[in-house]
Order: sequence, then C-alpha cells, then structure tokens
Amino acid sequence: MSEYHLSEQDLILAADGELPARRKAEVAAHLESCWACRARMQSLEGTITELVRARNRELNSKLPSADGPRALLRARLAEAAAVPVRRNWFTLPVTSWGRMSVAAGAFVAVFVGIVITFAARVNAEAKPRPITTGETRPITLREVCEYGKAQVISPDIPEDKQRAVFAMYGIKSPKPGEFEVDYLITPDLGGTESIRNLWPEPYSARWNAHVKDQLEQRLHELVCSGKLDLATAQHDMAVDWIAAYKKYVPASAR
Amino acid sequence: MSAEVTKSLPFPIAESARSGAPSSLEEQVISLFDQFRAPLLRYLRGFQIPVQDAEEILQEVFLSLFQHLRLRRPETNLQGWIFRVAHNLALRSRLRGKRRAGRFSYAPEVSAFAADPAPGPEEVAAARQRQQRLLAVVHALPEQDRFCLTLRAEGLRYREIAEVLGMSLGAVANSIEKSMVRLMRSEGHSNV
Repeated sequence: MSEYHLSEQDLILAADGELPARRKAEVAAHLESCWACRARMQSLEGTITELVRARNRELNSKLPSADGPRALLRARLAEAAAVPVRRNWFTLPVTSWGRMSVAAGAFVAVFVGIVITFAARVNAEAKPRPITTGETRPITLREVCEYGKAQVISPDIPEDKQRAVFAMYGIKSPKPGEFEVDYLITPDLGGTESIRNLWPEPYSARWNAHVKDQLEQRLHELVCSGKLDLATAQHDMAVDWIAAYKKYVPASAR
Repeated sequence: MSAEVTKSLPFPIAESARSGAPSSLEEQVISLFDQFRAPLLRYLRGFQIPVQDAEEILQEVFLSLFQHLRLRRPETNLQGWIFRVAHNLALRSRLRGKRRAGRFSYAPEVSAFAADPAPGPEEVAAARQRQQRLLAVVHALPEQDRFCLTLRAEGLRYREIAEVLGMSLGAVANSIEKSMVRLMRSEGHSNV
C-alpha cells in the first residue's frame, strides 16, 4: 500500500501532460498502485469533462453564423492579396554570392547612416515635449482594476481640445491618420483630460500610438495583478513612455 | 481538450500556397479561420467585449496572419500566435472603451438551460446543475486565472499560454492549479 499520496499539482500536471518525463513515470507508477489517488484523478478528469461540456453547451449555441464573417474575410484577403508583397532583403533569391555581398555591404552602410541620422528624430517625435507633463486624478486601485469604474473619462477627446493640443505643438494642419491626440497617462490608470496630459502621438513613427496602446495594456495588467504599484506605473508612463515600454512589455509580446 | 483544436493544423503552409498561387494561401487562411473562429470567440467572451468587436478582432487577426505568412515569418506555434494577437487586440479594444449594446455575458445563463426543449430525466437535470455551478466558479475567477483556464480549455499547452499572456511557465501552472482546485471544491471534493 502507498504511504503517501500525490499532490494536487502532480495530479493536475499529469492530467494536462505537463510533467517532466521522469516525474511522469513516477506519477504513473503511483497511480497504478494507489486506488485513492486514482479516484482523485478520475474526479479531476470528470470535472474537466463537465467543464468542457458546460462551456460548449453555453457558448456554442450562441455563436453567430460564420457565413457572413467568412465571406467578409475572403473579400478582405482578396484585396490584400492584390497588393504586392513587400519582401525584405533577406527573402530575395540569391543568384550570385559576389553580387549579393557587394549589395549587402552597400545596403548596410546606407541603413546604418539612415538609422543614425533619423533614430533620434523619430524618438523625439514619438515623445511628448516637456509641456506635456502628465496629470493624474485621485483614483483607487479598485477603480482601476474593476472594469468600467476607471472609465469616467471618455477615450474620445473632443475636437476643440484636440485642436488646442495641435496648436500647442505648432501643428497647423494635421492629416487624417497622421496623429492621435492621446492621453500621456491613460485614464484607465488615473490620467486626467487636462491639456497637460494630452499630446499629438504620431502613427507613422516607430514608437507610435499602437505601440503605446500595448504599454497601456501591459501596465494595467501589471498594476491589477499586484506586480506594479499604480504610482510607479503613472510616473514611468509620464516620464518616458518609450523607456517604460522597453522595461515592462516582454519581448515576446512586442 | 476541445476537439476543434486538437485536429492537426495544416502546417507548414505549402510553398506553392505562398509563392505561386496566392489564392491557395488565402484558402489556407480561410481554413484556419474556420478552425479557430469558435475557440477564439469563446476565448474573447472572457473580455466582455461586444460580439461585433470580437468578430472584427477575428478579421484583423486573420488578415495579419495572411500578411505574416506571405512575408515568410516563422510558422512555429501558429496557434499560440493567433491567440496572442487576438488577446492583444481584445485588450486594446476593451481599454478603448468600445462598449456597445449586444455584449456577451460571461455569466452562465439559467435561461439557456431552462429553454432546452429536451425534457431529460433527473440525471440530466443534475448534470446541468453541475455544469452551471462550474461555469459560475469560472466566472468568479480572477481575470488572469480565467484567461489561463480558458486558453487551456481551448487546447493550448502551458508554454503557449505563457506566451499568449506574457507570463512565466510556473505562473501558468500555479494559476491552472488554483483554478482546478476551486472547481474541484465546488464539486464537493475537499482536495483533488
């Protein structure tokens, strides 16, 4: 008779096929000999089975038909396929190593020059000027993390306020899609709608509005999972959001 | 776990699909859309975003996938890639506050069970009660735990879940263990 029983973790990892090989063999051997653990494993499997049935039962019946979305996707794919692929250098077929080497050398030289010349400029454009200091309102962690409670400020910034921000930055006629007037400290993390918390964020720069969205999501996750305090998140976002992105957004999520 | 995602994926994408016949690649992406649409919509319900937004997110995911494959980017773990892109887009959609009518409700709905026309025996009724109880436990889980469990239910391995959610492998294992223990206790098992 077994003198010990498997831990909950062992049973769950075994059920999910996530045990290391050696431990897997030990657990399998234990299950063969221990009726109590085998019964626990069967209970676990039974719960998993019922959960899957419950999810399928609850969710599948409510899924909208796929016909419309599939037709829409097909049309969009056809549209996308009509645009030639912009292949990067490394996917070009190699016909001559010599020619490729010379061309690669020239390419690298030009590329490095461009990067050195423009990197600072792009980053400068992507960062707000010192006039945008960021501003926060009193907010509790609960309000931040309970969905909806932090949403007292509309994500849509009024036109007149946007015009004021552009004027503050000396941008006379912004083209549609060129900038997003955005909150420096997102309202979801306690940012205000003060003009000091707004700036024109370019879409075209490497560090653009979409990238900042990622940072905002990440900081929200970290704050609400207790891994980062709210004040630090607000501070880091206000001081240098690009540095904050590099610090908090894992490479795998970029 | 889900039968839909345990089917073998049509990877690697055939070379002819990417180079000679673009329509073939389109068909492969449509095939993946058919395969992953239901699992993704089920997963996105956890974000409590409107169904229209969830459908639009799916369109963006598969258009991005098309470009990803056309540009010959890595095909390893496309399932994880698809869920990760959907997850990020859903977070963004939610944070942008695109909340309209027609939102999914994640809470188990009693009416969905009551409306079932099949008048089952007592065992069927008991099974449904059990399922309702399990869904209520899932609904009450912290969001990150619910995401982990839902991704597992959709057939992702721990490593893939870790990549989708930006967590460590150990954190995923702990989260799933915690959720499973809660589910088991709701069933009256004092320990697993």
